Amino acid sequence: MRKILLVIQREYLTRVRKTSFWVLTILVPILVAGLYAVPIILATKPLEQSHVLVVDETDVFVQEFRSSESISYHDAGSLEYAKNQIKNGDSADVIVYIPARSNTIPNDAFMYYYSDAPSLNVQSDIENQLQRILRDRILLDVHGISPDDYDLITNTHIKLHTSDIETGRDGFLEVKVVVGILLALLVFMAVFIFGSQVMRGVMEEKGNRILEIIVCSVKPFQLMMGKVVGVGLVGLTQFLLWVLLSGVAMVGVSISNSDLLEQAAARQEMTSVATKGSEAVAQMEAQQQAAPISEAVQGLTAINFPLIVGMFLLYFLVGYLLYATLFAAAGSLVDSETDSQQFTLPITIPLLLSFLMLPALINEPSGSLAQWFSIIPFTSPVAMMFRIPFGVPLWQVLLSVGLLLATFPLCVWLAAKTYRWGILHYGKRTTYRDVWKVLRMNKQKSDSSQEKKKL
Amino acid sequence: MLNINHISKSFGTFKALDSIDIHVRKGEIFGLMGPNGAGKTTLIRIINRIIEPDEGEVLLNGVAMKDEDVATLGYLPEERGLYKKMKVGDQAVYLAQLKGLSRQEAESRLHEWFSRFEIEPWWNRKVEELSKGMQQKVQFITTVLHKPQLIIFDEPFSGFDPVNAELLKEEMLRLNSEGATIILSSHNMNSIEELCSHVALLNQSHVVLSGKLEDIKQQYSGKSLSEIFVQTVKQK
Repeated sequence: MRKILLVIQREYLTRVRKTSFWVLTILVPILVAGLYAVPIILATKPLEQSHVLVVDETDVFVQEFRSSESISYHDAGSLEYAKNQIKNGDSADVIVYIPARSNTIPNDAFMYYYSDAPSLNVQSDIENQLQRILRDRILLDVHGISPDDYDLITNTHIKLHTSDIETGRDGFLEVKVVVGILLALLVFMAVFIFGSQVMRGVMEEKGNRILEIIVCSVKPFQLMMGKVVGVGLVGLTQFLLWVLLSGVAMVGVSISNSDLLEQAAARQEMTSVATKGSEAVAQMEAQQQAAPISEAVQGLTAINFPLIVGMFLLYFLVGYLLYATLFAAAGSLVDSETDSQQFTLPITIPLLLSFLMLPALINEPSGSLAQWFSIIPFTSPVAMMFRIPFGVPLWQVLLSVGLLLATFPLCVWLAAKTYRWGILHYGKRTTYRDVWKVLRMNKQKSDSSQEKKKL
Repeated sequence: MLNINHISKSFGTFKALDSIDIHVRKGEIFGLMGPNGAGKTTLIRIINRIIEPDEGEVLLNGVAMKDEDVATLGYLPEERGLYKKMKVGDQAVYLAQLKGLSRQEAESRLHEWFSRFEIEPWWNRKVEELSKGMQQKVQFITTVLHKPQLIIFDEPFSGFDPVNAELLKEEMLRLNSEGATIILSSHNMNSIEELCSHVALLNQSHVVLSGKLEDIKQQYSGKSLSEIFVQTVKQK
């Protein structure tokens, strides 16, 4: 036991002392805080109004321009006057010039600006306005349809609001899909990254020829498990630091934008009250007030972060333990990184498969496909983490964790047997037939074949 | 001290060791010789319990060896290395702790050895910055640091320049005079002749020659050990 602790300690300390560990530890929370802050910053960013001077020689358009919070339109009369305005001062940014045509409706316009190019928003707004005005004109003059009638016909858009029948809260399915994909990606990367660290560690020891020295003091099984546990602790440390630092960063962002978040929470409260009281109209009004961006902010408040962090820890740990032992075995079988692919591929296939199934899972987060994938060991860490934000019945979580834990001893047995043989086997490239032979042999025979390779 | 009785080991259809009997007395330096593939490394791995024999037994001080006994042995394998990215001192302490020494004990003994081998300034350097010869010195130190009663050196001189090889020989003799029994496996006949009192020659899975070095040389009317080696192996 003392020896396995020493191995764990070495594996842990050599990795935690690396600069790359700390770079990654600090970069991720910055990224998380950034992702969290962007919608908030966008929502709170003060609007800058652009001023557009309209020179309309046709007199068809100028009165029909509608100013908004971000863009205001002014009648400038003549082009000369407008150009002077824009050159002299900062009262205007852009000129729209619509030249006169004889006997025909104009179908082009010109935009002039000075030094500062106008934003794409301004350009597209001008285009939209011109098109709208032209369209209304044609509708009215040629077809006799008033713009109000036209709006009534075309604005028959319906938005579907989702609501959980038990809690009365908004479902925020889109937000949950995004969070679920992120979680699946995170658990996939974590298992893969730390699993291959174990593999590279074993390959390093084998390549350095230090193994024969070490196995005189430590049993191969102790060495393997020490490495698996040590690297796992590194992963856990990194993850906890990420949660802690991201938490601090997110609280920082929240405090500096507390007004906005309170608004968002209030809106969330309003919509849930509305649903319970079946006051669909009130709900709609409340929803309509909320712009899409603050909907995302509201969605964040609907996510159960402690549950997600807890489940992530659980699935990372059991998923990692399962895969890391197999990665260790793969590492023991090869002499170089390039040879390792033939053994890492079958290990990563279930991980990749569960990741590639995500589009199907997104369609039906609680469908039978999703249930199977989140219960079968090897695919369950990724598939289950995707489903967690949508809410998963407790029995399914218990079953999938139980199956993962039950599979673990089997993986350890497979890995230990392969590892014991692989670490002292140099030279000839290992094939699957060799591995199969090793697994079928009893302990003594496995020693024999190992030595045969050596000789 | 070490009795190897009727050890046999097969790999599939290939018999690597066939009923090997070797006896090493306490306090001697024993030479293990043999051409490549004769089974020397297999035998050494069996003594270190890295692999198990098909038949036979290994007795240490008259008692069948157990896993715990390996901690009282020192083994410098032919294929040897160190963690390249680790600091020399940390690594030596780690290996010593795995042999059962406490951190303090390991550090104080290591500083003693490092100053004797004049590598003290390298304590905080990474292994990859060391020359091959210096790495060999570190490996030698970690092999003997826990004061093993029996030390097995497999080709210890490969990679050493003549000056350091001489230093190594001196250290082996010193350890031997302090009571350690040594098994020296080597192709270097000169150093075996120089250091060993008893030898055994392995060829094609059998012990083909063994006994006191003096007696063997007398038997072959004063030929050099190299000549005896070649003659015996060719006879087979």
